[in-house]
Amino acid sequence: MLTIKRVATLVSFNQELEQATGCGRDCLGSCCMPGAKLPLYTFRRQQIANGKNNAYSNGDSHKAANGDTALHNYELHELSQGFVENSEAANGFLDSLLLAQWEDRMERGLFRYDVTACETMVLPGEHGFIAQLNEGRHSKKRPTEFRVDQVLQPYDGKKFNFTKVGQEEVLFCFEESEDGTNQYYEKAPVSESPNVIAINVSPIEYGHVLLVPRVLNCTPQRIDPDTFLLALHMAAEADNPYFRLGYNSLGAFATINHLHFQAYYLTAPFPVERAPTTPICHHCKKGGIKILELGNFPVQGLVFEIGDNLEDLANAVANACIYLQNANIPFNVLIADRGGRVFIFPQCFGEKQARGEVDQEILDTQVNPAVWEISGHIVLKRRCDYDTATEESAWRLLAEVSLTQERFNEVKKHCLTAVFEGPNKAMSMSTIASNLHPMEMNAAVLNGQAEHCLLLQA
Amino acid sequence: MELGEEELTSSVKRYYKESLKHSLGQCDFNFVLSDPRLPDNPIVYASEGFCSMSGYEHHEVIGRNCRFLQGPDTDRRTVLEIRDAVREERPCQVHILNYTKHGNPFWNLFYMAPVYSRKDGTVVHFVGVQTPFSAAATAAAAPLASKKLNLMDAEKRKEARSECLQQIQGEAPMRVWFALNEIQGCVCFVEADEQEDNHKCVAKDEDKGRAACAVQTILCNLMENSRIGGGGRGVAETRCKEIAESAVGGVVCSSLMLSLTRIQQSFVLADPKLPDIPIVHASKVFCEITGYSQEEVIGRNCRFLQGPDTDPEAIRKSIAGEHACTVRILNYRKDKTSFWNHLHLSPVRSATGEVAFYVGVQLAMDIVDSAGDENVGMTPYMKQLGAVGAVKVAVRSLQGSGLRRSFKKNSEE
Repeated sequence: MLTIKRVATLVSFNQELEQATGCGRDCLGSCCMPGAKLPLYTFRRQQIANGKNNAYSNGDSHKAANGDTALHNYELHELSQGFVENSEAANGFLDSLLLAQWEDRMERGLFRYDVTACETMVLPGEHGFIAQLNEGRHSKKRPTEFRVDQVLQPYDGKKFNFTKVGQEEVLFCFEESEDGTNQYYEKAPVSESPNVIAINVSPIEYGHVLLVPRVLNCTPQRIDPDTFLLALHMAAEADNPYFRLGYNSLGAFATINHLHFQAYYLTAPFPVERAPTTPICHHCKKGGIKILELGNFPVQGLVFEIGDNLEDLANAVANACIYLQNANIPFNVLIADRGGRVFIFPQCFGEKQARGEVDQEILDTQVNPAVWEISGHIVLKRRCDYDTATEESAWRLLAEVSLTQERFNEVKKHCLTAVFEGPNKAMSMSTIASNLHPMEMNAAVLNGQAEHCLLLQA
Repeated sequence: MELGEEELTSSVKRYYKESLKHSLGQCDFNFVLSDPRLPDNPIVYASEGFCSMSGYEHHEVIGRNCRFLQGPDTDRRTVLEIRDAVREERPCQVHILNYTKHGNPFWNLFYMAPVYSRKDGTVVHFVGVQTPFSAAATAAAAPLASKKLNLMDAEKRKEARSECLQQIQGEAPMRVWFALNEIQGCVCFVEADEQEDNHKCVAKDEDKGRAACAVQTILCNLMENSRIGGGGRGVAETRCKEIAESAVGGVVCSSLMLSLTRIQQSFVLADPKLPDIPIVHASKVFCEITGYSQEEVIGRNCRFLQGPDTDPEAIRKSIAGEHACTVRILNYRKDKTSFWNHLHLSPVRSATGEVAFYVGVQLAMDIVDSAGDENVGMTPYMKQLGAVGAVKVAVRSLQGSGLRRSFKKNSEE
């Protein structure tokens, strides 16, 4: 068993409190939720304009600041052409709501510190790594042990989980609407197991929230197509290229084993979003999603780009992640570009750390390379690290996270098999393939049912 | 957010003389001018060439952001590059797949360059030059015509696959991918280009040369025809002041402006580092509510809204303590009518962590009182807070040097 010791970040004030049965504290557990009323935002599933073309975000979704959904002439025109990129002249509904609620909690003093008072800068260089000095985020608690060699672990109700979060830390519930409108309700009866959006009381940036799908289902931290689709919907609904969602698996620096995504605003591109990509595959049957590989970036990763609908993208990404989970490979996922680009990073930093293979200098910075760090946004605890941070030091840290070229190539092949033929096929192939030469591996795939799209590499 | 015709035409008139129209009319390039200080950086001038290239009429183009040229297969990362050039207020050159009005794709060598004010270094306009091109001879870049073979026969399909495998085995740098469409029973070959880090066409050198020349010519035209006098000093192709420097003088840079104009509330930004904490930005809605124009407001302290019956003590306390506050204050419009203003004030910090502005979001109480069902939709108070949040997100990354890269940027790729 491989473990590392680290101090878990405080994401909710109830994390520090003693476990109590029947809390009387207005939490999100089955003790307080039935009959509770919370703010609710309902979103409408986006229409597909032309079948083929990219219309995951249509022209009128965010004129809804006052519920107006009329299309102007030029938007109708754009829809008939099939493609609309949506950063219009105004902030969208979900965007405004999220910012408003967050600012409200800010002014009510619900955060441990003011994150906007933390210095931040771009490290000189072409990649644009973003560093922040955040001395307040670090909790004074004792470090606890975390397993880094088991990506799937059963849910443990005795450990901190999101049912223990206080209702005032919830900004609103996020549900698909039943009547095809997007609307906000100040107080609505909660559903059986709502999707909640809660604040992170130790924010990395303005607007840092946690998306907890189906909070009362008590699902452990793992990716599945339905909840991943919800996360994509949130990105699409916010309709803001500077609002991203992130996911860390266990073993890749998630500390709470209760299914959740994180999100926040930062009006700057992440270095990973700037990195060049090489196409591997174009899946013309599965909604035209594209799969590419990252280049010129310290961490190896796969990039999935939307075709004409979110569902196919969610299924493809989820299949790849399910393979990684079953193969016990820790990974991180970044949802960017309004849900149009998803990055998957298999990683091995935790394992290296547990084996004592990481430079002490890097360990001293106490940076845990999770999804935000890998994307290029690095929060530093010590002034000395912040003042001496450079593009090279960031690169060096992230290079430790990455799988080797060979290992990544293997993992990539299995992920692609998982995407096109299902994760079970990928698992069975990965046990056979460890003995096969790469070209033989392709032949094996070819002789299988790879009818939709093939991976071919010179 | 509809833009008035007047705003669009005055964008050009404010900085250039009448002679510009004639001058630009002589250039037969495809290009547009956009104004990043108007909401969503709309096109304010489009050449004849641009219209015939894109298939759009002039009136279909003016007032819209140039992204209508993008389409389903436009590379998302390339779009990010353009967006970031606008954010970093610098030039960019990209190969981008664009679409005509009728949906026909074409490869476009897109060169974009900022036009800076000589007075305060801000970006006055962006010049965007479009040069359609076909692939360079060296890179086998354009998609091949698909070979529609009737391959209902499984044997033939297997043959085609191994044929394809053999083809690529011999050719190291070529990446080939193909899709086997079971329903149609055909095999389509799409050949990708050789470049390591992009999957798009590369323009020939002569196209690149033409594009660069076009940009230069247009910039020269703009400079020669720019208005000088009346406070203006004309325009230039390079910055006379860095963003951070202009910010010190209370100038709001264009990329920050672009974020601020997305906020549909009445608000002002005031700069506490300048004498008497003057307003440096006032939103359009603020002007509508109060009856003042932006020019009448910028540079003045907000107290001109107060009148004989106003009590400004709470505001003073809030600024002294660097904390947020809400006050109910009696304000007066330009026409001397008064209104109760539910004013929300908050300090706003930049990337340095220090307070860069105070944001004041106004809410005229007569509007609030006539609001509908309190439970549905965002309340006016919430919308106020939403404006504060949006300002904070924008200012953190875009005020001063903000989160922009700091290396010397070349105009060559």
